[in-house]
Amino acid sequence: MPLVGRAILHVDMDAFYASVEQHDRPELRGLPVIVGGSGGRGVVAAASYEVRRFGVRSAMPVRRALALCPQAICVSPRMARYAEISAQVFEVFHAFTPLVQGLSLDEAFLDVTDSRMLHGAPELIARDIKRLIRERTGLGASVGVASNKLIAKIASDLDKPDGLTVVTSERVHAVLDPLPVRRLPGLGRKKGEQVAAAGIATLGDLRHADERQLRPLFGRDWQAWRDRAAGLDDRPVLPDRDEKSVSNERTFDEDLHSPEAMQAALAALADKVAARLRAQGLWASCIGIKVRRGDFTTLTRQRTLTPATCETGVIAATTRELLAGWLQEERPGAARGQQGRPAVRLLGVSATGLEDAAQEDLFAAADGARGTRLDSALDAIRDRFGGAAVSRASSLGRTRR
Amino acid sequence: MKLTATREEILGPVQNVIGVVERRQTMPVLSNVLLSAKDNRLSVTGTDLEVELVSEATLTVSAPGEVTVPGRKLLDILRAIPEGTNVTLTTEGERIVVRAGRSRFTLSTLPAAEFPLVEDIQAMQVLKLPQKAFRTLIDKTHFSMAQQDVRYYLNGLMLESEGGRVRAVATDGHRLAMCEAALNERVTGKQQVIVPRKGVLELHRMLGDGEGEVEFALGTNHVRCQIGDIRFTSKLIDGKFPEYSRVIPANANRIIDADRETLRQSLHRTAILSNEKYRGIRLSIKPNQLTLQAHNPEQEEAEDQIEVVYAGEEIEIGFNVTYLLEALSVIETSRVNIALTDSNSSCLVTAAEADGAKYVVMPMRL
Repeated sequence: MPLVGRAILHVDMDAFYASVEQHDRPELRGLPVIVGGSGGRGVVAAASYEVRRFGVRSAMPVRRALALCPQAICVSPRMARYAEISAQVFEVFHAFTPLVQGLSLDEAFLDVTDSRMLHGAPELIARDIKRLIRERTGLGASVGVASNKLIAKIASDLDKPDGLTVVTSERVHAVLDPLPVRRLPGLGRKKGEQVAAAGIATLGDLRHADERQLRPLFGRDWQAWRDRAAGLDDRPVLPDRDEKSVSNERTFDEDLHSPEAMQAALAALADKVAARLRAQGLWASCIGIKVRRGDFTTLTRQRTLTPATCETGVIAATTRELLAGWLQEERPGAARGQQGRPAVRLLGVSATGLEDAAQEDLFAAADGARGTRLDSALDAIRDRFGGAAVSRASSLGRTRR
Repeated sequence: MKLTATREEILGPVQNVIGVVERRQTMPVLSNVLLSAKDNRLSVTGTDLEVELVSEATLTVSAPGEVTVPGRKLLDILRAIPEGTNVTLTTEGERIVVRAGRSRFTLSTLPAAEFPLVEDIQAMQVLKLPQKAFRTLIDKTHFSMAQQDVRYYLNGLMLESEGGRVRAVATDGHRLAMCEAALNERVTGKQQVIVPRKGVLELHRMLGDGEGEVEFALGTNHVRCQIGDIRFTSKLIDGKFPEYSRVIPANANRIIDADRETLRQSLHRTAILSNEKYRGIRLSIKPNQLTLQAHNPEQEEAEDQIEVVYAGEEIEIGFNVTYLLEALSVIETSRVNIALTDSNSSCLVTAAEADGAKYVVMPMRL
């Protein structure tokens, strides 16, 4: 049965960084390779399939990875090289459709709905793409083909590496229903565990659950999640044009334990993100924080802002509240440092939902534009004298004052 | 309960109240309408707990009584019956039977006692004004109400009465519309109420163009008025409306005087290539000349120029074109004034000859 209606491909390069290293250095082929920051505190950026067998995963500390697989070969990442290969891969995509939405260097959505006349059935396009990527870069990719982004993304992951999975409309439930809920993109690990704990183990369970079960788990978004489990998704493939997010993060030499130090570090990150937004003439409608605990578990929290903003004051206040909320939850929680306090090794601030136009608010404007004037003054000083010339008191922290 | 009437005599009141009877209700009784028959009068009530509508009709009641019946189904049945047919409604146990010619429908009912009614609203003040003037108040402001804003007090129309006038103000935080009308009788004291969006839209639908007087009663938690055969009652939003007077620009002395229709058409043309989401449009004003520009994410561009009367400094400012168009569409004079302060401040749109209405629009940064 051919795919009728929309045809979306999700192409995901197999163990991209590690595969590039193995391709460029034939002596590494067939060996367990870890690409990651060197030194004791580095994190696994990519793991070859040989080393994944030992349980090594991305985002795992290198130290732990080496404990699992002592014979693994650690390689420092060469981002410039990966970007170069990525450009070749994206060139292949663009040969088939202009509607290419890159998610990262090694992952993209392609809308090939209107490419069929020229290039044949979506499945043939997928095969051609895999073949051309292999010819030009020597690397493998896995492709999911479906009628929307959500199913395509799930499908590309079903037959890795070097996979090709086509999910036609009539097979959607047959394919999705048996999958565990954590396969649903966007469902965080923690949320996934909560959902599973509520007795909803598979996407089929989720699809058949009712409001009574779902509202406590998902709040007012419960219907959206149930729709996703049913494979419903009408998001368009948005061709890459703009930078989709502005973010900044910092890994600390020593884990942070005091809320004051965390808030100060976060305030500095928020200021940097806000300054970059202003420099690019953008406003963000969604501000998020990223927290990596001492035990490497990572979480994000985000909040939508109306109106969109590029003001340091607003962004910093939002990140402060998000972190305070997390600290509140963390207090009786599980992951602790030895001191019995939260331990944080990385903090990040991200601005998404970027807009190049912003509707001003009547009442905010009437409350005065002090924040905006301060921002432009600081931006001007930093332009002339450099980023360290002036700091906000909030980013200094109590101990350093 | 037993009553007899022509199809039209019953259909009318059911149609009048069905607007507030929602299809999907959390409480089953809310998808029903209350039928209350006595003294040869039938009153039909619909409610969504926010807005209550009661519509009455004169017909033959042979046995008085009260019962609630599924509203949409009753409406569909009455609509499907041939015009002019005699209809009989009879309660039989926990059912109601609708008979019309050779058709017979048996509907389920729920006890009238379960139906939530608003009793006395404890009016603090009664505003008396011509129906037409009341309609104009809503006409000229309702489009600026917020929709599902977290600032819940913006999801409605603020009515403020004092002395011999009533003022209506609506704002979604981006723009504000304000209109005033004279009252037939002065009121004592100052009252401010926020009528929720749904109530405002229902009221707007009911109000006609007649000069007949409407008595609009303001209570602590409700407002109520009788328009023709229909009694309207709405809950009020319990919240503080923002200090609207402080966002009406005081120093907007750069005044553009434009032909309303010319400006409207120009905005409309230019908007075709504006960003569909933000609808941003850039206005560049020079003495006697207004240039409008828009572009979309595909970098397609529109530019238009019109003649205006303007003697001030050159200024550039961006707006959501929808806000300007909505204000222009309710201004009736042939010429319109747009008063600006600077590129970052709100503009004030008014009819060239004062008509009691003001529109304030915050700019966009483009």
